[in-house]
Amino acid sequence: MTSTIGYISVGGALLLSLAGATLAFVGVRTGNPGMARLARRATYGVFGLATLAIGTMVYALVAHDFSVSYVAQVGSRSTPLFYTVISLWSSLDGSILFWGWIVAGYSAAVVYVYRNRHRGLMPAVTGTLLAVNAFFWLLLAWPANPFTPVWPVPADGPGPNPLLQNHPFMGLHPPLLYLGYVGMAVPFAFGIAALVTGKVGGDWIRAVRRWVMAPWIFLTAGIVAGAWWSYEVLGWGGYWAWDPVENASFLPWLTATAFLHSIMVQERRQTLKTWNILLVIATFVLTLFGTFLTRSGILESVHAFSEGLIGPFFLGFIALVMIVSLALVVWRSDELRSEPALDSIASRETAFLLNNLLFVAFTFTVLLGTMYPILAEAARGVKVSVGAPYFNQMSVPIALLLIFLLGVGPALPWRRGSPELLRKKFLWPTAVALLAGVILFALGARHLLTLFTLTLAVLATGLIVGEFWLPVKARRQNHGEGLGAALATVVNKNRRRHGGYVVHLGVIVMAVGIALSSTYRAETEATLRPGQAVAFEDYTVRLDSLYAGREPHRDFVEAAFSVGSGGSYSGVLRPRLNYYPMSTQPIGTPAVRTRPREDLYLSLMAYAQNGSTATVNIIVNPMVVWIWVGGGICVFGALFAISSMGFVAERFGGRKKKTARETPKPVEAGVGGAD
Amino acid sequence: MSLTRRHVAFALLTWLPAAAVPVPAAALPQEAKPGDAPVVEAEHDPELEAQVRELASRLRCPTCRALSVQDSPSGMAQEMKDLIREQLKAGKTPEEITAYFVDRYGEWILLKPTAQGFNWTVWLLPVLLLAGGLFFVLMTARRWVEEGRARATALTEDGDEGGV
Repeated sequence: MTSTIGYISVGGALLLSLAGATLAFVGVRTGNPGMARLARRATYGVFGLATLAIGTMVYALVAHDFSVSYVAQVGSRSTPLFYTVISLWSSLDGSILFWGWIVAGYSAAVVYVYRNRHRGLMPAVTGTLLAVNAFFWLLLAWPANPFTPVWPVPADGPGPNPLLQNHPFMGLHPPLLYLGYVGMAVPFAFGIAALVTGKVGGDWIRAVRRWVMAPWIFLTAGIVAGAWWSYEVLGWGGYWAWDPVENASFLPWLTATAFLHSIMVQERRQTLKTWNILLVIATFVLTLFGTFLTRSGILESVHAFSEGLIGPFFLGFIALVMIVSLALVVWRSDELRSEPALDSIASRETAFLLNNLLFVAFTFTVLLGTMYPILAEAARGVKVSVGAPYFNQMSVPIALLLIFLLGVGPALPWRRGSPELLRKKFLWPTAVALLAGVILFALGARHLLTLFTLTLAVLATGLIVGEFWLPVKARRQNHGEGLGAALATVVNKNRRRHGGYVVHLGVIVMAVGIALSSTYRAETEATLRPGQAVAFEDYTVRLDSLYAGREPHRDFVEAAFSVGSGGSYSGVLRPRLNYYPMSTQPIGTPAVRTRPREDLYLSLMAYAQNGSTATVNIIVNPMVVWIWVGGGICVFGALFAISSMGFVAERFGGRKKKTARETPKPVEAGVGGAD
Repeated sequence: MSLTRRHVAFALLTWLPAAAVPVPAAALPQEAKPGDAPVVEAEHDPELEAQVRELASRLRCPTCRALSVQDSPSGMAQEMKDLIREQLKAGKTPEEITAYFVDRYGEWILLKPTAQGFNWTVWLLPVLLLAGGLFFVLMTARRWVEEGRARATALTEDGDEGGV
């Protein structure tokens, strides 16, 4: 019964998205608004059926209906309800269903929000989105069907992957990542619509802005949450291993970030039209490619790839998307040409060009490094590895240049940077940064790369603070406003710009956390008897007790350690090893004491069975918490920036309708605008 | 997205030290008395440990997905780390120890591809792209500046936003 409803909803969504896409493109061709209206309704219908499909799956999971293949694969009667529900995305078929539902949701949302606007673009946007939907519902109807009936019906299942039920963060990190990843289909659809209709000017860029920001925010939050999850769960005290799965989420983030910057050049200077379209295409292709890499099994071996149908399906779809997109770009190459005028190389335009170059080079490096084992095996027949040492060595210079630019870029004016202005903006931040470098060196910072990173961070912070401070100062002088009032006026006048600067500050905070935690980490291992204590760095760690226990879905062994410094103990940490029925290996859960200055991180490594000793890995990790704080600042800044472009601003912001800016006046007219 | 594979690999392959131990059915003492045993200093020879760390972070943990010997908590990695420490103590150079592991596991054990032969592609392509891109960006910016000069001479009135 459940399977039948699942089949009907998946098949219905497939047929309806195919029909809707056809109608939409007929509408584009004939200009018939009736077709566009029908396609819009089809989009709502697809979302309805997708919701029915996912609702059915959640019901099957919660009701432990093991006659449904996916439930038989990941369900278990002993798994707690929360983990049962989120096991929806713990395995391949379920995560593709989740993906299909989100892409249907995004499609319905875009089509609804723009039902009376962007009439030229929307039919093609609708058609493209429905075509993407059709691909996913085809996957779900055929090679990744989660509703396949199982006979005989098993009495119980193995439960989800133990690692995915080990931490509540699993309920948060994957949905965030999916919302970011899948959302990149929307800007892609706008890019394609711009090409199809030939309206490659500013219109699609203005329409697409918030639809890039929203998935970007989710993707950023998802990546940071994933890093945090790794840190809290995997037990090695790190947060980013340059694992192909992590790289897959990072690649579209890089190109999307490049796009968020380069559209400002198009809005302001009507150039980089081709480039912007290529960036949204690349972002979308990278999300497909990342899924292909991590889901087809090609990274493990070529054989795993050829076994399943998912890999060939994805590869075929990626090829189709690329061929169609590039053909459209070539076809529209005349409309895409444009040349703006500059007065000086030292301008924000140049900074944006360099920013885009660095993001693209970063993307290329990560992609090449991730793919190289496959390339090398094909070319040389030898297995090689590309891991963290390669990625760190290659990305640190790029990252440092980006930190430099994220401070310098905002300080450079559009078109021309006059020497007086540059002196005014750069003098103090440079002086303070150099002073900070000298002070840090005097305090004993001898790791040159870290010292350099911190100096750059101070410079960039100074430049960005200047972007707040200089207009606030001018306002206070001219209008006699207080500090708070002046700051509020300045910031609210252009939320997009200042929200962006807050994101930059968040990135700086993250960079400082990453630089310090990766260079000043200290680690040791100790085997202790109960009552025995070990001193490491400034800490004393004492094993108090070792005990075992049982929870509904797992057994565990936990060790209680008193931790403190000097002679006194100030807290207890309880790292543990969990034993799940489906896994022969225990899954560790480290215990972390987080402080602003440093984290104390304990992992239980082993224990004697009679309880006489426990082996613990002790890691002292400086400034790690600032990575998560920085991520939070980024999300906050981006939300603030988006608050001027969305629903809220239109309804309540009292802003003028955003029309084409044929005659923009500098700065004052830049409400919700480009810079 | 970033779920299953890596973590399945992790679940299956790491945590080997405790792996040999069967699930204890509450066999352990519930409470051990914190005694007055003296505080022991963690075994810590900073110079040697730094060398071990440096070497271990360049070698792949053979049983993990993408972690180095340094980062992996698996038993295999711990043994390799102990081996590195002993060999260093015995006076072997880092090069000799690396060569030993490459000999045993193949080039695959190195997390950083050696810069030789076909491997140059993974090192040089990004640099070439960056250099070519930089050249391209500078040429573009210069072209735009020339465009600005050309328009400034062509227009009599102030073309503040010359791009339209």
